[in-house]
Amino acid sequence: MVRFKNRYVLAEVVSEDPRCRQCIEDRTLGLAVRDAIARVHGDYGLACCSISFTVKYLNAYTGTVLLRCRKDSYRLLCSALPFVRYLESRGQRYPCFLNTLHVGGTIRTCQKFLIQYNRTQLLRLLQNCTTEEERQCIQKSLLSCSLTEEQSQSGDEEEDDGTE
Amino acid sequence: AAAFERRVLRRAAEHHYLRVRLELPDGGARPNAAQFKQLVVTALRELHGEVGAALPVDVLTYEEKTLSAILRVISSGLVKLWSALTLLGFYQNRRCAFRVLQTSPFLLALSGNSRELVL
Repeated sequence: MVRFKNRYVLAEVVSEDPRCRQCIEDRTLGLAVRDAIARVHGDYGLACCSISFTVKYLNAYTGTVLLRCRKDSYRLLCSALPFVRYLESRGQRYPCFLNTLHVGGTIRTCQKFLIQYNRTQLLRLLQNCTTEEERQCIQKSLLSCSLTEEQSQSGDEEEDDGTE
Repeated sequence: AAAFERRVLRRAAEHHYLRVRLELPDGGARPNAAQFKQLVVTALRELHGEVGAALPVDVLTYEEKTLSAILRVISSGLVKLWSALTLLGFYQNRRCAFRVLQTSPFLLALSGNSRELVL
């Protein structure tokens, strides 16, 4: 046995309620996912998936979530994600659902996918724009996000969608 | 001479049959057949969740006097069922235990038990 292999599941939190965004935290999301696994797969499934389970990356603005689990139990995790129906924090409950975007073996492959996905999402947002000022806003943020020598802050994955 | 041919089918049976006995050491009310099936499904739900509780398990026979039953389960779910029965500890807040007496992919094999042979 050489090393422990992990699987990284990239998902996005989709909710109709805009207030849900402020309660997306790693602890609440981790608890919600573990609760869903316990309901769907019982004590055995919960124990299996909790071995190396963490929320590795979380972006509250875009709702992107990166979960890690062992390679042996990633199917249990992926099958339980549709059963997360609400996020609960500070006594407030917001209905939402998780969209699985990608399952990768390393964080790097998930990041490559996320960059590609965000690019296509921005183009789609640009097409679905209704007003001219939204269009200008998105175009401005697209043109301002570029990797140059001096600015090490701007990266492809931290883009804000200008409509919200 | 006729050619001899032997065919071996591994894991070909689709169902597995278990003869189990429920031990209730305190002399209380015994469960009837429906409550017995409910107990089995509850055990599956505790250990394996909703997916386990949805496993197609059938109680083929049940004797209330001896609390023994023959269960049938799809072969891929045998491990889940057996582990759930092993780890069940309580029935209506009373201590209980499942003993698996025989198991076989063929129902006919459950009719004879060589452990109970009187020699």
